[in-house]
Order: sequence, then C-alpha cells, then structure tokens
Amino acid sequence: MSATIPREVQSTAAEGGRASTGPVRDGAIRESVLEINHFSVDYGAGENMVRAVSDVTLRLERSRVLGIAGESGSGKSTLVYAMTRLLRSPGLISGGEVILHVTDEGGAVTPVNLVTATESELRRVRWSHVSIVLQSALSALNPVLRIGREFDEVLKTHRPNLTKAQRRARAEELLRMVGLSGDRLERFPHELSGGQRQRVMIAVALALDPELVVMDEPTTALDVVTQREIIGELSTLRAQFGFAMIFITHDLSLLVELADEIAVMYAGSIVERAGARELYESPRHPYTLGLLNSFPPLHGERRELTGIPGTPPDLADPPTGCSFAPRCAFAMERCVLEKPTLVEVDDTGRSVACWLFDDASGSRVPVELSRVAPRAEAPKGGS
Amino acid sequence: MSETRVERDVVQLSAKHLSRDFTSRVPGRFVSARQVTHAVDDVSLDLVAGRVVAVVGESGSGKSVLARMLARIVRPTSGALALRGTPIPARAKRDLAYASMVQLVLQDPFASVNPVHRIRHSLERPLLIHGAERTQVGELASAVLKRVSLDSSDRFLDRYPHELSGGQLQRVSIARALCVKPKVLLADEPISMLDVSVRLGILNLLKGLCDDENLAVLYITHDIASARYLADETIVMYAGQVVEQSHGTALVDAPTHPYTQLLIASVPDPSDPTAVSARDASLRIPASASAGCRFAPRCPDAMARCASESPPAFEVRPGHFSRCWLNENDRVATLVAPLTRRKGEPTTT
Ligand SMILES: Nc1ncnc2c1ncn2[C@@H]1O[C@H](COP(=O)(O)OP(=O)(O)OP(=O)(O)O)[C@@H](O)[C@H]1O
Ligand SMILES: Nc1ncnc2c1ncn2[C@@H]1O[C@H](COP(=O)(O)OP(=O)(O)OP(=O)(O)O)[C@@H](O)[C@H]1O
Ligand SMILES: [Mg+2]
Ligand SMILES: [Mg+2]
Repeated sequence: MSATIPREVQSTAAEGGRASTGPVRDGAIRESVLEINHFSVDYGAGENMVRAVSDVTLRLERSRVLGIAGESGSGKSTLVYAMTRLLRSPGLISGGEVILHVTDEGGAVTPVNLVTATESELRRVRWSHVSIVLQSALSALNPVLRIGREFDEVLKTHRPNLTKAQRRARAEELLRMVGLSGDRLERFPHELSGGQRQRVMIAVALALDPELVVMDEPTTALDVVTQREIIGELSTLRAQFGFAMIFITHDLSLLVELADEIAVMYAGSIVERAGARELYESPRHPYTLGLLNSFPPLHGERRELTGIPGTPPDLADPPTGCSFAPRCAFAMERCVLEKPTLVEVDDTGRSVACWLFDDASGSRVPVELSRVAPRAEAPKGGS
Repeated sequence: MSETRVERDVVQLSAKHLSRDFTSRVPGRFVSARQVTHAVDDVSLDLVAGRVVAVVGESGSGKSVLARMLARIVRPTSGALALRGTPIPARAKRDLAYASMVQLVLQDPFASVNPVHRIRHSLERPLLIHGAERTQVGELASAVLKRVSLDSSDRFLDRYPHELSGGQLQRVSIARALCVKPKVLLADEPISMLDVSVRLGILNLLKGLCDDENLAVLYITHDIASARYLADETIVMYAGQVVEQSHGTALVDAPTHPYTQLLIASVPDPSDPTAVSARDASLRIPASASAGCRFAPRCPDAMARCASESPPAFEVRPGHFSRCWLNENDRVATLVAPLTRRKGEPTTT
C-alpha cells in the first residue's frame, strides 16, 4: 500500500468536490468504491456464539447509493459497524474482507482492506474517505459540548493546518449545507430538535468530503416531514459532491425512492440484491415480497394485507435450511434441509438466495415472484 | 364474552371542546417569563362502538395529551367528557368503573409490561383488581390471549417479557387492556416501536376487535398510510388543533388542508415515481403562537390574512372539515366552528 499525503485543505465546499475524478458520466463503467467479500461477524464464542452477519458479499460503485433493508435484528448495524471497524466486543469479524478504494489528492486510487488495516491506517481513512452516521446519532452528540466543538474535533485532527477562524468558517458552511444557520454552533445538543441534531451529524460526516458515507437509520426516529426534508438535502449534497452512500433502514419504500440498488437482509444474510426499481416492481425472494406487502398503500382500494406471519429465527439456534423457510408461504422440502446461496438469476445483475429459482428444485416459480422486471433506469442524482 | 357485545353505532365516549394548556417558566436575563403551550386546543370527537378513529400528526402535535385526557390521566384545562351519554364531572377522580370502560395502550410494550413478572401476573392482576374470582383468573387470562392470537398455554403464560418479541409483547399489552372488558380502547402509537413485519398483525388485530366485538378504538399514529388502512374516520392534528377531519379514505385521497397535503407528500411512495418532493416547510413554530393560523409560518400557500386571522373549520364536503382559509369558498355548509375559541359554545361537529 502506497503512502498517501493528506489532501490539501480546500477553502470552499464548491471547490471541495473531487475535481480530479469528477462525477462519473452515465453509461460509463463505474469503478468500485467498496467491495465486501464473504464477510462474517459473530457475537460471543463457543456455545453462545451468534452469527449476526453471515457470508455477505456486496459491491458499491462510486457516487451510487446502496440501500440495506431488513427487519430488526437482521444484522444491518452489525454489518456496517464491523465493516468500518467500529464493532465493539463481544463482536468479532470471523472472515472475509472489506476493500475501500481510497482516492488520494493526486487522483491515484489505492485499495485498503479495512479488515486487516492497522489503527493508524484506519485513522487516515475514517472521516476523510469513509464516514458513518450511527443509528443512535440522536444521542451521539456529546451533551456537554457546544455543536461547534464536534466540528472542531474532526477538523483539528485531519486538517491540522487550518486556523481556528478557518475551522469556524468551514463549520458554518457545513451547517448551511444541511439547512441550519451558523449560530447553531453555539448551541448545546438539547437545544436542538431531533431533526436538527440529525442534520448536525450529517454535516460532521461530510466535513472532510469523504467518498463514502454510511448512514444507519438516519431518519427512523423523525417524523415523515422532517425525514422528507433530510432526504431532499442528501440528494442535493450528493449531486454536488458525488459521494457514494450506504443507507440503512427498515423502510423499504423509502429505499426504493432513494437508492440505486437495494440489498435485503434476513437473519444475517443477504437474500436478494437488485436495482431499486426492479426490486420494487418484481421482487423475487418471498421475504422481499412480504416486506413490500407490509406497508399499507396511500392509494387504491382498501384491502386487507397480511404482512409476514411469524417472527425471525433465533440466531443462537438458526434453522438448518433456509432461515426464512419457517415463515415462507412457498417453502418446499428442500428449503428446510439445505441453505440456499445468493446466485444471479437474470441479466440485470439481480441475485437471489432462494431454491425456487434453482432449476434443480424442479419447482414452478409462483406468479407473485415472476413479474417481469422493468428496464434498468438511469442512476439517481450524482450527475 | 357475550356481555361485551354492544349495539353498533352507539357513542361510547364523547369529548367536547377538550383543551389542555401547559405553563412553563422560561428563564430570561432579568425575570423569568411564563410561556403557555396549548398542547390540545378545542378538540371534539366521538368514539363509536365498532369504529376506528385515527388521530394523525407530527411529534408534539398533542396526540398523547389528547389520549391521556380521554383516559382521564391528564385533566383538561377546559371541555367535557361523556361516557355512554353520562357526563363525567370535571373535578371527579378517575375511578375503577371508568378505567374498566376506557383502556389505554402505549407505544413501548417493553416499558408498559412489568419486566420482573411473568405474563400471567400482568394479565391476572388487572382481573383481580376489577373483581374477578381468584379461581377463574387463570381461565380468563388464557381466553384473552386467544383473542389477541397468542399462544394461550401455561407455557406462554409463564414466560417473562424479555422472552417475547416486541410484536408478541404489544399483543400482551393489548390483551391486558382487554382483560377488563373495556368498551373503548385508546391505542397511542401502538406500532411505531414494532418491526415492519409485525405491524400489520397489530393493525389487523385492532380492526378485528372493532368489527367482531364492537370495540370503539382510537388509533394514534404519525403514519398517515396506516390511518388510511384502518380508520373509519381520520383526524389530522397540528399544534394542538384539529386541522382536517374526514370519513373513510377521503382525507388521504382528497386532502384539502396544506398541512395534510404536506404530510401525504412526505410519505415515501414508490408506486408514484412522478411524486414531487415535499414543498419547503422547514420553518418551525412553537405551539404557543397565537394570532392567525398556526400552520401559516410553514405553509407554502399562506396568504396575508393567514398571519392575523385564525381560520375556522369549513365543511368542504359532507363530513369533511378543513381549517384553512383556502377552503372558505369550497365549503358546502356554513361555518361550523366559532372563529376563535369561545369556551362552552356548542358547535355542530
Ligand atoms: N453485543 C451483542 N451481543 C450479542 N448479540 C448481539 C449483540 N449486538 C447485537 N446482537 C445480535 O446481533 C443481531 C443483529 O443485530 P443488529 O443490531 O446488527 O441488527 P439490525 O439489523 O441493525 O437491527 P435494528 O433494525 O433493530 O437496528 C441481533 O440478533 C442481535 O440480537
Ligand atoms: N407534562 C407536560 N408539561 C409540559 N408540556 C407538556 C407536557 N406534556 C406534553 N407537553 C407538551 O404538549 C405538546 C404535545 O405533546 P404530546 O406528547 O401530546 O405530543 P404527541 O403528538 O404525542 O407527540 P409524539 O408523536 O412525539 O408522541 C408538546 O409541545 C409537549 O412538549
Ligand atoms: Mg440497527
Ligand atoms: Mg405521543
């Protein structure tokens, strides 16, 4: 791995964009910013071991949005904590690699395996190249520090040659980007609403113009109007700076709107990965179908919806076969015996982990799961 | 259970002009000022056997204070309640009889079911308090678990709350409310802490209790799509006031108030790829703003008049009310609410 010089401080946000690489034009083959290969994470050891993330493989291209959906306990937070090496004991990465393609000032790209990276390598990469907004962000701000100090801490360590006044100017500028006035820097967290605090966290995450931003349920605790405002701001910011984003939520409808691609997690594994529109219009995995049917619609006839019967499996004692089989309306004998792996099922790049789509199962795919996929759309934002 | 059957369409609980103010001290440089928050301002509603009334609104709009006044846990500043036609004396304390008729289910099942006791205890205790025979409580408890589609075996009854999922525990807290055979169930955001996959189960359970057992249900939520799914009547609250109200799906299908329109436009809706993003409404006002329409500072359609004159509720279609000056000329009937709140004056709502 070649040593990289810290990027020069930029005076304004507009110049802060990565002029060297620039936004990728549509149609061009995009380079990856992140590749996760066969990644597994456990909690505890021995008999009490729980495999919270199991053999996850994902790729994210520059300037794109990957959504991760799944119900509570499916391992979404564990995945992104472990991936950015923020996982605390008793969590343990038990296999796989996470390659972040780091672009330096000169435009040279160096792959960094975050799983094996040393503390000093991680320090160099965090905030500057990958930043994360945690699920508990509403309580993540230090209650006794004024908001301005949060920015100061990050800027001081990573941009040591900035003067106090320059740091202050940058912090005000970042707040303006997320729709807050500069005087908020003097406030304490408890003086801000939940939505305002969430905006502060997003502004801190963008402070060093990273190429990948990870957001774990940034809007779940907020009401829909505030959520809508923040989502709107995020897409403006992405259009301006071109960062790639991983966005976690249990709200699949939100992801369909926001993400280019969606990965659906169930009991630690990815069960379906597809383009956002394809996933919505033509779900293939029975769990994805169930999730989509769990949201009452805003239009049309009122009819009874059933959602997904049953509850997720106990990860300490997972079923032998497919972990969704006990709740699946289409389960076959094979599903209880063998665990399906994620395989590509069509030419749109969609992958599904379900025996229904394996020819060897000799089963017919139910109509609900064989709707024709729409043609791939142009990517959202970022152009 | 036959005694729980009551006639459909009977008004079980009626609230007229309920208001609740909170006074807080705001420390100033020299003297501390008193600030009054109109948490709930002149809300009237009827909870009817076999029907669900949904209350929708953002955080801080006064939904929980309203539910607590209906449960008589919070005392109204003004207004009146009547239970099955009998007025409730304003000063009287909430008694056991009222509690057995009107039950409240809260948002967080983990906080509302006592973690140190088995499920059996949580169900049998209210039964004993409300006068059930000790020899029968076991049977009654398993019967009530069946009504909420839970395992009614001794094995389940002997579990502790931490051994249940959030969805199961919320069913237990609904079961506990049903134990005492209430006529009215007040559900304050019963699904917002639950997982997506189990939310529908709880909504369908509430609907079933309403349809099959003629319970009157108040369903409080910030999720307007779930209100459309469940409710026979929907009320939208903003800053303590009812801003729009209608029957069936009319409120969501044809909203007339700019706030309702904003709420609906904010809901992620993948079925409508052309959906425009919500109009800018980032300004926030304290609920204590007095003159004019409370939504005016955030309203994309605000006119000069909105800042100074508070709009009354206009009946824009039969049974559909909107508190917005824009609807002044759409109204089908005359003004149905007084321009400003005048205590004790009846309205035709
Ligand atoms: N410290 C821990 N020790 C043991 N198990 C844990 C620990 N933290 C999490 N788990 C388990 O790991 C699994 C995944 O948890 P995780 O928090 O990643 O889920 P999630 O998908 O983010 O859920 P949510 O939507 O509720 O945030 C869960 O089954 C959880 O019980
Ligand atoms: N005990 C109290 N003392 C002072 N103010 C209060 C009290 N209880 C509620 N309020 C205020 O009344 C208003 C309405 O609160 P309420 O809890 O009813 O909101 P809500 O609509 O239930 O919101 P949420 O969706 O967050 O539950 C808020 O401004 C709140 O701060
Ligand atoms: Mg999580
Ligand atoms: Mg509330």
